[in-house]
Amino acid sequence: MGDQPTLWDAPPPEPQQPMRPAPRILRVTDLNRRVRSLLDADAALADVWVEGEVSQPSYPASGHCFFVLKDPNSQIRAALFREELARTVVRPEHGMNVIVHGRVRAYEPQGVYQLYVESITPAGAGDLHARYEELRRKLAAEGLFEESRKRTVPRWPRRIGVVTSEQGAVWRDIGNVLRRRYPLVELVLSPSVVQGDAAAPAIVRALRRLYAQEGIDTIILARGGGSLEDLWSFNDERVVRAVADAPVPIIVGVGHESDTTLADFAADLRAPTPSAAAELATPDGTQLAAILARFRDRAGAALLGRAAESRRFVDSESRALARLAPDIGAARQRTADLVDRGARAVGDRIERRRLALAAANDALRALSPTATLERGYAVARAADGRIVRDPASVATGDPLQVIVARGTVEARVERTRTDGTEELLA
Amino acid sequence: MTEPLDLAALTDADLARRPFDELVAALQRAVQGLEAGNVGLEESIELYKHALRLHAACETRLREAELTITELGRRGASPAGGDDAG
Repeated sequence: MGDQPTLWDAPPPEPQQPMRPAPRILRVTDLNRRVRSLLDADAALADVWVEGEVSQPSYPASGHCFFVLKDPNSQIRAALFREELARTVVRPEHGMNVIVHGRVRAYEPQGVYQLYVESITPAGAGDLHARYEELRRKLAAEGLFEESRKRTVPRWPRRIGVVTSEQGAVWRDIGNVLRRRYPLVELVLSPSVVQGDAAAPAIVRALRRLYAQEGIDTIILARGGGSLEDLWSFNDERVVRAVADAPVPIIVGVGHESDTTLADFAADLRAPTPSAAAELATPDGTQLAAILARFRDRAGAALLGRAAESRRFVDSESRALARLAPDIGAARQRTADLVDRGARAVGDRIERRRLALAAANDALRALSPTATLERGYAVARAADGRIVRDPASVATGDPLQVIVARGTVEARVERTRTDGTEELLA
Repeated sequence: MTEPLDLAALTDADLARRPFDELVAALQRAVQGLEAGNVGLEESIELYKHALRLHAACETRLREAELTITELGRRGASPAGGDDAG
């Protein structure tokens, strides 16, 4: 190119005013970032409900879904990611009228803004959705869904009431879970249709029938998965209110993990599925036998410890008594009373322990074979309680108390002799 | 939740009729009483005997338990073996 201007060149710049600052040059990235932050700052765009027609949906290998949402005058690109797609009731198809819920954001790499879809429902259900939202707000305002209303499900239920259809997999699943897990419980079925126009009043009636029963600890309201319309009766105001009215804790397990109905909100506990509801309602009985056996073993160990303690006591007191014996012989004139008292006190304690220990051995037949205290010793006591060691200390006709291992013999002195101890040893 | 059971006054047949959770609670109390160690030997023995009885009762119940099913509002039509529609 030459230096001469041509027709294609921009006209020469006007002479600029010297004060005007140079324009700030943005990078494309900066520009798109700025637009994005503008959109992100708008709270209304973060939570929009849009009705429109699905056009040209694509399902690439990534598992996401992209489509255009349009009406006669306008259109917007929409993205439905794999996670959300898995949860939606309908799969977007070309020409389908839908209501989507989501947020609008800019996608910087391509300089476009689009609708990020969180949920999508057929437009026919649009009315339902509006009603669902309206009812949810109304009941929430009344406090029906308050956390503080929620009661704890009893850990050891005796009777569990169930409202569901008596036909079909749900009722069978609940029975199977409880048979495996906690068959000690009594199941009280209050059957109800759970689909169609008749479902809502039928569910309410079935619940009320259970409420009138005595001794129900927990109630389960359950239904298997289905379309939005199938599950609709669990969004019915009458049903939601009846759930909130439950006199005992109620668990609602409807549909699949992703389905949340208003009845779920009103329940004391929400279960992702009917089987999960049965599990949440009961302790795990498969572990119970082992737990109970551990309790029994702990009881045995504790008693053994207790008995061993008592045995040590008896042994040490016996040794103490034996140590006293020489003193008795050497100084009985001076200290007879004192020693007698001491010996009696110790003897009594030994005796009490001995009897108790005998009983412990009884109880511990298997655990404690000890019989050291049953070797046949006896203690004779005079009427005033003194232990008789010398025949001279009693007279013919005196009453005697002879204490043996397992009781007491009441006796009377017939005659006294100073010999005879050899006989005893023979 | 429940009053402590008076084990001494109950026969094994009585125990078999008590709710399972009561038995478990009583067993737990007996074991805790024993382990606390602040009761006399005689009382310990009683507690131990109670624990054995309660454990046996619980075990029997677990072994023999069969899910009971009652169906409401459908007198005589229940195939599930519930005896009374209440």
